[in-house]
Parts: sequence; C-alpha cells; structure tokens
Amino acid sequence: MKKQALRYSMVLLIFALSTNIGYSQDGSSTASEKEEQGEKIRFNGLGRTNLLQTGIDGNLLEGDTLTPRSLTDGEFLLDLKINATPNDKTEVQTILRLRNEFGGFFGSGMTIEVRELWARGVIANRVKYRVGDMDMKLSKYTLYNYDEEGHVNQPAAFMPQKEIIYYEQFYGTDNTRRLQGANLNFGLQFTDVIRDMEFTGFIARVRGTDFFTIPSRFVSGGELQFSTYSLNDSLKTKADFGFYLAHTFDDLKSGEANTGIRNTVATFNWDLKIWDLKNTALHFMGETGQSWLVSKNDSVDFYSSDDSFLDLGASLHLKPQKVHVDASFLDVGPEFFSIGAQSKRIEYDATKKYYNRAGEAQDQRSPTLFDITRDPAIYTFQLSDKLMPYDPRFSNTFPYGRATPNRRGITVGADYGKNTDKLEARLDAAIMSEIRGQGTTELKNFTLLKAAATIHIDKYIDWEKNLRFTLGYQYELTDRGGLDVEKVNLSSNLLELGIEAEIFTDFEVLLGAKLLQAEGSDYIPRIDNFNIVSDFPGRSIIDDTETLLAGGVRYNFKEGIYITLQYHAFSSDNNLNSQQSYNLNQIFVLYTMNF
Amino acid sequence: MKRKEYISKGKAGLNLLKLFGILSVLIFAISCSHDEEPDGPNLEDRFGPFMIISELEVNRDSVDFASGQTVLFNAEFNKNVNWIITITGNESGAVKRIEGFSRIVNSVNAVWNGNTTQLPFFKIEMCNIELTIPEEVDFSSLASIEISSTRIYPGTLFTDFEQPAGSNITLGNFEFELTNNTARSQAFPAAHGDFFYLFEGTDNVVPNFFTGLIVISPQINGTEYVQFPTTVPENLYFNFFLYNDGRPYGIAVIQFAYDTNDNGVFNDGVDQTFQLTGDFPLNFTGWKQFSHTMADVGLTQELLQKIVAIRVLLISDMNSQPTPPLQVQFGIDYMTFTSGAPLSL
Repeated sequence: MKKQALRYSMVLLIFALSTNIGYSQDGSSTASEKEEQGEKIRFNGLGRTNLLQTGIDGNLLEGDTLTPRSLTDGEFLLDLKINATPNDKTEVQTILRLRNEFGGFFGSGMTIEVRELWARGVIANRVKYRVGDMDMKLSKYTLYNYDEEGHVNQPAAFMPQKEIIYYEQFYGTDNTRRLQGANLNFGLQFTDVIRDMEFTGFIARVRGTDFFTIPSRFVSGGELQFSTYSLNDSLKTKADFGFYLAHTFDDLKSGEANTGIRNTVATFNWDLKIWDLKNTALHFMGETGQSWLVSKNDSVDFYSSDDSFLDLGASLHLKPQKVHVDASFLDVGPEFFSIGAQSKRIEYDATKKYYNRAGEAQDQRSPTLFDITRDPAIYTFQLSDKLMPYDPRFSNTFPYGRATPNRRGITVGADYGKNTDKLEARLDAAIMSEIRGQGTTELKNFTLLKAAATIHIDKYIDWEKNLRFTLGYQYELTDRGGLDVEKVNLSSNLLELGIEAEIFTDFEVLLGAKLLQAEGSDYIPRIDNFNIVSDFPGRSIIDDTETLLAGGVRYNFKEGIYITLQYHAFSSDNNLNSQQSYNLNQIFVLYTMNF
Repeated sequence: MKRKEYISKGKAGLNLLKLFGILSVLIFAISCSHDEEPDGPNLEDRFGPFMIISELEVNRDSVDFASGQTVLFNAEFNKNVNWIITITGNESGAVKRIEGFSRIVNSVNAVWNGNTTQLPFFKIEMCNIELTIPEEVDFSSLASIEISSTRIYPGTLFTDFEQPAGSNITLGNFEFELTNNTARSQAFPAAHGDFFYLFEGTDNVVPNFFTGLIVISPQINGTEYVQFPTTVPENLYFNFFLYNDGRPYGIAVIQFAYDTNDNGVFNDGVDQTFQLTGDFPLNFTGWKQFSHTMADVGLTQELLQKIVAIRVLLISDMNSQPTPPLQVQFGIDYMTFTSGAPLSL
C-alpha cells in the first residue's frame, strides 16, 4: 500500500510569469522603475552610441601602401524591447533594433531589424513553455557556452567593449547558448526519498537548408533532474542526480541535401551532499557520459565514432573561513565530441572587423589580445560541427573548456570571499595529459595555473566611494618528450591588472593592463571533418609578447547608464622576427543606456 | 510512526549512497577506456631527417619470368617514406613502377612478376632499377637485372604479329589509299615483342571515311574458327593495344565476322559482322590498352562458336578532317582473349 501510495502532486516549479524581473540576454522581462503594476505592455531597451578611432603602425607596416593607418567608425543603436502580457498565462516580447552607422545620414547606412522574438506561458498551470528565441544550458559536456580565452579577471577598463560583444553575441551571464525553437518545463513532487523531479526539454533549429547541399540542422535535448529529501537529518545528507541529453541532427529530408550528421551526448550527473554542518559542507559530485557521432548519406552511415568522459570531484566549504576547495579527476576521451559544449566563442579564422590584413604581403593577422577584447566579428554563437581552431598561446590545456577531448588529469581550485568582502580570490590549477598522442605515442603534458583576486581597497581604508584593484594571472606549460622531432615545450603567461577609482561621485578613473608572453614551440594539428587529425602543418615556433594598456574615465548616470572615454594602446612584439611587430591603438567614446 | 519513517528514509538513503558508490566504480572503469592509437601522421615520418639504413638490393641477377620467377627488392630507411622503384627496360623502354609508404622495402611490398606499368612489355633484355624518394630529391639507389624470359600473360593469344602471317592476313586496299608502310612493322617499338601491324593512309581517293583494312583468319592459329578461353560473352574479354603518334582524325574499327553461311571462310557481304559502338577514336599518343567483353559487341554464346575472321579497319573521320584530308595511322598489337577479367598488365 505504501508503494502504491507513492503519492505525488504536481507542483509548479516554474515561477509565475514575472512582471518585474531583471534585464537579461534571453529577454526575461526588465521593467523600468517607472512601470506600474498591471500594465499590459511595457517598453524597455538599450541605447548605445559608440564612436571610435583605431590606428596601426610599427615595423609590419613598412612598405605597406594598402593599409590605412587610421580608421574611424561607430554606430548609434537603439534596441526597443516591447513586452506584452495579454493575459496572466502568456507573455510575448520582441526587440526591434534601429541602427545607424557612424556617418550615415537620412537613412543611408541605417538598418531596422528584429533582434529577438519569443512567447512564453503556462499550460494548465502545470507546464511552462516558450517558443522563439531562448537561451539554453544543460551541463558542461552537453550544451554549454564556455567563456572565451584571453582573460582571467578582466580589468574594468576592458569591460565596456566586452559587454558589447557579449550583448551582440547573446552570451548569457551563466554560459547559456542562444537558440531559436521551443522548450517545455515542468516538475513533480514526491513524498518518499525523492523530493522532486524537474524536466526540461527543447528543440531548436540552428541552421537552415540551402535546398541543395546543406540540410537543416536541429539541436534537441533536455534534462531530468531529481532531488532527494534529507537522507540523514543530523548531517543534512542529500543527493541530487539526473540525466542530460543533447542531440544534434541534420534533416536529410530538407531539399536535395542527402549528407548530414548525428551527434548525441548522453550523461548522468550527481551531487551528493555528504554533510552540511555549521562550519563545513562536503559534496561529492560528478558527471559521466558518452558521445556518438555518425555521418549519414541518406540512410547509410559512412562514418561513426563514439567515446566517453568522466568528471569526478569533491568540494569542501569551510564556512567560517569563507573558503571553498574543490578537486576533480577528469578523463575526456579523444573522440568525445559534443557540438553543444565544444563550439567555441572565438573563431580564430574569422575575418576581423579592423585590420584583418596588414603588412606589405597583406597577410592575415592572428587574433590578439586587442582583437579579443574589442572585435565582435571574431565571435560567434553558432554551433560548429567540428572542433574549431584555437591559439595555444591563450589556451592549450582546455581550448574547449572542460569538454576538451583527449585530456586526463586532476584539477583543483579554491576560492575565498564574496563581492561584499574586502578580498575575493580564486585559484585554479590543472595537471593534465593527453590520452592519445598526436603524431606520436608520446603524450603532451599540460600544467595550468590561474589566479584571480579583487581587492576592495575602499573597504580597507573605509572610503565610501569605489576603489578596487583587480589581478588576474594565468600560467600554462605544455611539454612533451621523445625524439627531437616529437619534443614540444610551450609556456605562456597572461597577466591582468586593473584599477577602478571613483574620484568624484559616480565619476571613475579606469586603468587596465594585459600582458601576454608566450615562448616555445608546439604542433597545431589540422583538423578535418569528423575531428580527424589530417596533418601537422609544421612546428609552430612562438616567441611573442603582447601588451595592452588602457586608461580612461567613466561617468555613471545611474545603474546601467554610463558614458566612458578611453584610450587603449597595444603592441605585438614578435621576438623571432621584429619585422612582424606592430602597434594598434584606439580611442573611443561609449554611451550605454539600459532603460 | 515518525521514527519509523525516519529509519525508512535513512535506510533508503544509505542504499542510495551505496548505489552511487558502486556506480562510481563501474563508471570509472568504463569511462576511462579509450582507443589510444595516435592521431594523424607520424611526426618522425613527417618532419624527421631522412637516412638510408640499407641500400636497394635485388634478390637475383637474372630472372626467368616465364617459369614463374619473381624479383624481390630490399631496402631500409630510418623512417616511413613514400618510395618508388622504377624498372626500365634498356631495349624496350618498358617501365614498371612499384610504389609504397613504409620504412622497410621487402618481399611484402616490393615484388616484380615481370609485368609492366607503362607499355610496351618488357623483352629479354637488361633493366635498370632505381629507388627514389620524392621528398628526398637528392637520394637515389641503383641496381640492375637481366630478363632471361618474359612474363607469360594469361589468356588465349589471337595474334601478336611476331611471325609472318602469310595468307592468313588479307590486306584490303580497295581504294588505294593505304601507303606501302601498311604491313607487319618494326617502325617503332612494338607493344609486345618486335613486331606489330601498322596502318597508314589518306582518305583522299574516294573520300568515304574508309581507308583500308586487313582480314585476319583464325587459320593464323591453325583453326577454322577463333578459339576462346570461354564462350560466355559477358565473361570473354577481347584485349589489344593500339598505337597512335598523336595525329588526329583516325578511327580504328575492329569487327568480328560470324560465319553465316557455314563455309568456314570469311565471305564479305555474306558473313555478319559485329563491332563496338563508337569504335576506337585515335585521340591519344603512344601505346594504349583496350579491353571489352564480347557481349559489348553484341555476340551471343551461339555466335561465338563460329567467328570466322577478325577485321581491322582504318577510318578517316572526314567530318573533322580539313581539306585536303590529312594522313591517318595506327598500330595494333597483342590481340588476346581473357576470361573473367580484362588483361591485367
């Protein structure tokens, strides 16, 4: 009878449709302070004016008569968000974008477009749905938008331009991916052992067909998560566990296209709270799963691969000390492939908006700290069906985040404090190695060290205005033994320093510096379809130093509304060939208004 | 009651944690097993310095291919490389190439049974052998070998023109357009042996495409009808080599004559002939192999029983010829029938 009496009640785990939630990338409603309760239609949005001048000089430009030494451009932009709640169970929203290029007059250079459109609601007070644009995230191995490389603790001076990139590319604050489709969400509550269950499912189209060779591509999946009651009341022992599934597939019935892929990643995750006492809490958590990649020609599979991963860890929270410590064992198979998790934000072979080519030979410049900090053109939110190129100077240990294939090793981390404390600090380290050699049976070893600290000096000296110092540091070493031709040794250091000083009320001075130094050599594989290493173009010998300095002022009219004037100077020094060295600089005025 | 529920939950919780523990061990064992074969080309092969460890060696000084002997090659490098062994006949000019990608050249990947890559066939002659590595342009390793007898190819030879045919080949120069060179010839190296049959003429007397022909009787082999290794037309391949010196407008036609009146000799205009649609446009230079099945020319198993002659014609493509028309020519050699597959060089 007791089994039969596994009573559950359908409960709405979803939140009631909010009419007053913060502005976010997925379009969740943002209501201005002026809104009145009960309004059916609300208007919010973002306005931005960005004027900038970029210059280039240096040895690389000698003999170059094609590259303009200075470029000026900018934009005026208004994203008008119209949010309507026709009834208490339905909400629709669109963002209309009006944009004018700097120098465009009377309609010339002006565009009007729909940036976002979605509707959401609740079916029978039980099931939450959403259609149109949505931001989705599953686990770090299924659907996850990892942060881009090139920063550890970004100095505030570089944030305004980064925020533009994030906004334009729909990068959510919690590593979500922007998709267009539909999702469903509901929850169940139980009375025995399992306390509740939550289900989320979605399907989205991520690529359209050209009706000839390129089929439509869809990504679908979801998660099923369970949470238990306390299993030991004195220790507050508790278990959360569940499943993730991400399935990317080409519709071979669309148009004439008859070749496409299937990529499926299925995982099981858990978070066991062993105890949660007054002073300490201990968790065992992890995720494991399998990926499958199949390429189909009509109904025939002409390529397939599969591999597994395991992420097994523990974390300890020392509450009085405000310290979290965590450690994990990571094993991601060489052929593990997850389109949703391994697609990078930065396209290293994309055409840059500024000075894509430079020099007498008009060679394409490699993305630098300068480009990564300011150029939206090298960023993407699209999913890639093969492993994207990366630059080992910025990231060689985890170029695809924790989902980087062919890695096995240990990661450890610790953090201290919150943003209300005088000091926030985070330390991460990883000692990894390849599982499968590339071009040799010898394996590369990776050592990664990351440190970030934010010092709220104002709290130390009891100053009522904002005075903050930020520090970020990353050290990475890649090495491999064996024969001379197999040996690899590449080290890189990335240092970030930043100061925010509010010298008058709402008026801040911003200073920032980033330094990247990389030296050594490595082989960068050429990756073909299905992530097959086809060749090694040659040993990449690196001896570079990049320096990016920023200084400026910012006036904050109110939260979300500010104007900033900044000057950035960048130098790329190639120590192997000084003729390849060059400098970039920019001065810009940026006015941003969230309303 | 409350305590009972608490105990129940506690037991369930412990069971759950035990389950997680067991699962973790299983997952660890399963998830950490991967294929560890290295990715991509071997770096040593790709970028390492090249060295020869043992020079090219040949396992014999003289080879008797007719009795089934083969030639084995040996060499060793310090890394895997693309290598090519090129054997060139000093007299015939025949070329045999053996290619591979490996660190060791041996009997597994480098065996020569007397065949050829580039016509003509090898003769009884001395051959030069050269081992080269395309990526190491300065490297070469040399050897030589004498052929004491040539390879015997499978199949039923109809004629290779090595012996004078006498009346078994009838020349049809009806319009006096063929030159006196049209005959069994040594004008240039034959594809096989020393002789081939050369056609040469100009369609300028009676401009009707036809230039001249020969009729080859099966009596050339001492039989009334052509003998085949099989009479299944789909499995019976006719193989021959044609030569052209690059001049355009010529077309070779080969006809198979069925003894319609059962008299055992070819009667023009009486016996039915069969030929390949499209024939053989002479749009190439040098010797070239052609093969087709007898089913391709429309012959049935019954018809194959009584092929009384093979006619070879020289046609001048007057649709393309300039005015006046230019001379056309071709050589033909080694007409042979094989069963099951085309002649493999």
